[in-house]
Amino acid sequence: MTPHFRRISESNSTGSQKRACVFSNMAAARRLKRVAVSQPGFLTLNPKVGPTDLVSSRRKRVNKNKKKNWNKYSDVQDVEEFLEDVRHQERTTGKGKSSRPLRIDLILQHDSRVAPPKDVLAYQKPNAKKLRRAAERAEKLAAKGVVPRSKKRLLNRPVVDRTSKKTETEANNNPERDFYDIWGQETKDLGEPWYLQQTRKKLVKRPEKLNEKPSVLPAVEVIAPGGSYNPDFFSHQELLREAHEVEVKKKKVEDKIERQLAYNKEDTATEETILREQVEGLVEESEEEEEKEDAPKEDGEEVAVGAIAVADKKTERQRKREKAEKMKEQQRLAERRQTEQQQQLFQLRSIKTSIKQQEEKTQVRQKRRKAKEEAQKAQPRRLGKLKFQPQDMEVQLSDELAGSLRQLKPEGSVLMDRFKSLQKRNLIEPRERAKFKRRLKVKYVEKRAFKEIS
Amino acid sequence: MGGLQKKKFERGSATNYITRNRARKKLQLSLPDFRRLCILKGIYPHEPKHKKKVNKGSTAPRTFYLLKDIRFLLHEPIVGKFREYKIFVRKLKKAYGKTEWSAVERLRENKPTYKLDHIIKERYPTFIDALRDIDDALCMCFLFSTFARTGKCHVQTIQLCKRLTVEWMNYVITSRSLRKVFLSIKGIYYQAEVMGQLITWVVPYQFSHDHPVDVDYRVMATFTELYTTLLGFVNFRLYNSLNLVYPPKLDSNAESEPKEESEDDYAMNSESYLEKLSALSASLARVVSSAEEEEAQLDHFPTEGIRSAQMEAREKELKQQEAQKKLFEGLKFYLNREVPRESLAFIIRCFGGQVSWDKSVCIGSTYEMTDETITHHIIDRPSVDKQYINRYYIQPQWVYDCVNAKVLLPVEDYFLGVTLPPHLSPFVEEKEGDYVPPEKLKIMALQRGEKTGNEQEEEEEEEEEEEEEEEQEEEEEDDNGDEEDDEEEVAEEKNLKKMEEQRSQGKVIFKVTPGKLKVENKARLEQEEKAEEKRLAIMMMKKKEKYLYDKIMFGKKRKVREANKLAAKRKAHDDAEKAKKKKARK
Repeated sequence: MTPHFRRISESNSTGSQKRACVFSNMAAARRLKRVAVSQPGFLTLNPKVGPTDLVSSRRKRVNKNKKKNWNKYSDVQDVEEFLEDVRHQERTTGKGKSSRPLRIDLILQHDSRVAPPKDVLAYQKPNAKKLRRAAERAEKLAAKGVVPRSKKRLLNRPVVDRTSKKTETEANNNPERDFYDIWGQETKDLGEPWYLQQTRKKLVKRPEKLNEKPSVLPAVEVIAPGGSYNPDFFSHQELLREAHEVEVKKKKVEDKIERQLAYNKEDTATEETILREQVEGLVEESEEEEEKEDAPKEDGEEVAVGAIAVADKKTERQRKREKAEKMKEQQRLAERRQTEQQQQLFQLRSIKTSIKQQEEKTQVRQKRRKAKEEAQKAQPRRLGKLKFQPQDMEVQLSDELAGSLRQLKPEGSVLMDRFKSLQKRNLIEPRERAKFKRRLKVKYVEKRAFKEIS
Repeated sequence: MGGLQKKKFERGSATNYITRNRARKKLQLSLPDFRRLCILKGIYPHEPKHKKKVNKGSTAPRTFYLLKDIRFLLHEPIVGKFREYKIFVRKLKKAYGKTEWSAVERLRENKPTYKLDHIIKERYPTFIDALRDIDDALCMCFLFSTFARTGKCHVQTIQLCKRLTVEWMNYVITSRSLRKVFLSIKGIYYQAEVMGQLITWVVPYQFSHDHPVDVDYRVMATFTELYTTLLGFVNFRLYNSLNLVYPPKLDSNAESEPKEESEDDYAMNSESYLEKLSALSASLARVVSSAEEEEAQLDHFPTEGIRSAQMEAREKELKQQEAQKKLFEGLKFYLNREVPRESLAFIIRCFGGQVSWDKSVCIGSTYEMTDETITHHIIDRPSVDKQYINRYYIQPQWVYDCVNAKVLLPVEDYFLGVTLPPHLSPFVEEKEGDYVPPEKLKIMALQRGEKTGNEQEEEEEEEEEEEEEEEQEEEEEDDNGDEEDDEEEVAEEKNLKKMEEQRSQGKVIFKVTPGKLKVENKARLEQEEKAEEKRLAIMMMKKKEKYLYDKIMFGKKRKVREANKLAAKRKAHDDAEKAKKKKARK
C-alpha cells in the first residue's frame, strides 16, 4: 500500500466518487499483498508471526475512512525496502544518467561559425571630452564657492516638517500642549459647501437644542452659611437642623421597613407546635374520609349545570314585537333629545356661567401644571435604573468646629460634591459600581508549604 | 372599512427616543466609549414624558437618548478614533503576549490620539458661551491638580490641570477680578467677575484627600479631558485680552523677582518655571509693556429721570469695586509657615498687596521675615516668641473677611490668640426683613464709613466693665437707630404721655410756653402725602385683592417678627457668653 493510494487521498477530489476510488485501490493493494505473501520465501517483519497468520481469513476489520487507520494498518514495508535499495545503489555506483545536458540548453547555444564583432562602444565613453570639461568647470566653481543650480534647488527645497505629524498625534493631556485663539480665527472656505460636506471636510451642524442645559441648577452650589469653618451661631444651628431633618427622614424609612418586617413573637414555633404539625393528619383520619365521600356528589351536580343550555327559537311574532318596541324606544329618545335642545334655549345664561366656570377651572389647572413643571426643572430626572441619591450633608457638630484655620478638619470631599452635582444636573445618569460576580466557586486548597507549618 | 391597521410604537414618541444599548450598537462602540463620547459631545440622556409608550409597552427602567442626538453623533470623527484605539489596544496586547518588543515600540509610537478642539468650537460657538460654562471646568481642574500622583488618573492630566489652574490664577491676579472668598468646611469657594460673568469655583484644601470609593473616576477623567481643553483656550483668550504673553512668562524687569540662587533646591530646571509661576508672587510679562494702565471710565450720557438714578447707583457700585481692587495696595504681608500659602498669596496679590514667605516653605519668596517694611504678619498659632513692633500679627481670617467686606477691617478682633468673629458667607444675600447677624450689620456700617457706637462701646467695655447696664441700654437705642425719622414723633408722644400722666395724677398745670416756629419739612410732607395715598389705595382695593394684599403683608410681618426673635435670642446668647467670660476672668 502505496504511494499511489496516498496521493489520491491527498488530492482534492471530493465526495463518494473519491471514496469509491480509494477503496477500489485499497482492495487492489490488499490483493497484491496477499499474492506476495503466499509466495515462497516471503519474510515477514515480525519473526513470531508466520506468513500464514497475515493472510488468515479472520482479517482485522478496520474503518478505512480515518487517516489514522491508514497509517496504522497499511503496510508500507515493501515500498520502504525498494527505496532503501535504490539509495543503496546510488551510494555505491553513483547516479545513473545524470551528466547529459538538458535539451533546452542545447537549443539556445550559439551555433554560428562566424565570430561576433567586437563592441567598440563598450570600451569608449560617449561625450568624454565634454564631461571632463564640465567636471573641470564644476571644480573651478566649487572652489569659488558657487553652487550649481540643481544642488541649489535641492537646498532650497521646502523643509518638510517631520515633527508636524508628531504634534498631530500628541496626546490630548500633554502638559506642554499649546493653545491658540479658537474663537478669533475664521475658518477659510475651501470650496463649495456640497463638496465639503460630501468629503467630510465640514462637520455636521450641531442642533441648537443641544446647547440647552438639561437643568436650571447652577454648576457650583455654594454651601449654606452654616458650613463656614467658623460659622455664625444661628446659621450653624440652621444647618444642623437641616441635617437633623434629613437624618430623621432616613430613620423613618428604616423604621418603616423594620415595622413591615416585624412579626408576632407568639407566632414563633415552639416544641409543641412543631410536634402538632408533625402529627397533623395522622390522628383525625375519620373526619377527612367523610369529607372525601361528600366531594364527588357535588361534582356530579356541577356537571349537570354546566351543560350547554339550548335556547328556544324565537317565533315570527316575537321578532316583530321586538322590532316595534325598538323603533318605539328610538323615537322616544329622539323626541326627548329635541325637547331638551329646545329647553336649552331658555337655559342659555346658566350654560354660559357653567362654561365660564369650566374655563376658569382649566386655567387654574394650567397654572398649577406650569408651576409644577417649573419646580420639576430643578429636580434631578429619573435617567436610568437608579434614582438620584443626594450626598450626605457636610456638617460639623459644635464640638467639632475648629478654633482656627490651622486646626480645621475638612469635611466631605469636593470630588464627591462634583460628581453628585453632575448627576443632579442630569449630565450623567446615576450608576452603581458593577459588582464582581464570580462565576465559579473558589476552592480552598492548603498549600503544601503552609500545611507543613500548621 | 378603510386603511391598514395602525401598528403600535411606529410613530410618535416611541420613534423619537432610543435606548442606550441600541444607541451603542448603532454607533458600534463599547459602553465606556459610548459614555465618553456622550460626555465629550455634550449629549445627555433624556427622561421621556411617557415612558411606557417610548419603551414599547414595557415599564423597565432604561436610559433613553433622543434619536436625533444619536444620529448627530454618527457624524463625529472621534468615533473612528475610538475604534482605532480599540484595535491599537488589541494589537499591543498581542505583541506583548508574543514578547515582540520591537512591535510594541512601533505600536506605541503610532498610538492613535484625538483632539477636542473642534468639539470645543462646536459646543461653544462664542467666547462668552465658553466663559459661562467655565465654572465646572475650573472646579474640575483645581480638584484634579490637587490629586496625588497615584494610579487614579494619568500623571499628565494632573500636570496639565496644575498648569491651567496656575495660568487662571495668574490671570485673576493681573486683572484683579476676584470678588468673594468663602472658607467652608468642604473647601474654599472663590468668585470672580470676568468680562461681566460671575464665575464661582471651589478649591479643596490642600491635604484633605480621602478618595471616595463610589465615584466613577473614568467619568470624571473624561469630563476633565474636555474641560482642560476648554480652559486652555479660554486662558489663551483672556491673556490676549490683557496683552499678556501666553504661555505666561514672568516679568523680568519687575522688582519683586524671585532670587535665582535658591532655585535648584526646590525643583528640576524643567519644573522650576511652573513652580515659580505657581508661587504667584511675581507679575507676568506683557506683550506691550505699558507703563500706566488706563482706568476705564464709565461713559456719561446726559439722560434724565429714572435712568440717571440707575446710572448713579451703577457708578457708585463701580467706584466701590475700584476701591476694592486696591484694597491691599501698599501693604506688605508675610506668611508664617502654618497658614495656607497658596490661597492667601492668591488673594493678597489679587488686591494689590505684596506677599512673601519663608524661603524654605516654597520657591518664590521675595523678602525675608526680618524686613522692616512688613505691615502685616499672618500667623496661625497661639503665640510667637519674637515680635516686631512695627507690624500687626494677625490671624489669616482677617484677609478673607476684608475681601468680603470690601474694606480693611479693624485688626484688633484678629490679633494673636483672640477668639475670632464668625466667618460669614459672602454668598448670602439678605432680603428685606430677613435676620441679619450682628457681625454683618457691623461690617455694613463700616462699609458706609461709620464707626459704629457699638464698637466703641465694646472697646470701652473692655476697659470699664462696671458700667455695663447703661451700655446695654445704649445698645438698645443703637439698635433702634435705623428709625431716626420717627424720632420726632416719639418725642412728641413722650410729651403727650407726660402730660397725661400729670393729668391723671391730678395736678393740672396750665402754662403758657413761648411759641415755636413750626418748620415745615418739605420732604416730610411729601412722605406723608405718599403714605396717605397708599392708605387710600388700600382702602379702594377690591375684596379679592385686599385679601391677597393682607396675606402678603402678614407674611412680611411674620418674617420681621422671626428675625426680631432671632436677634433677641442672639443677644441673650451673647449676654450669657459675656457673663460667663466675666466670671471666668474673676
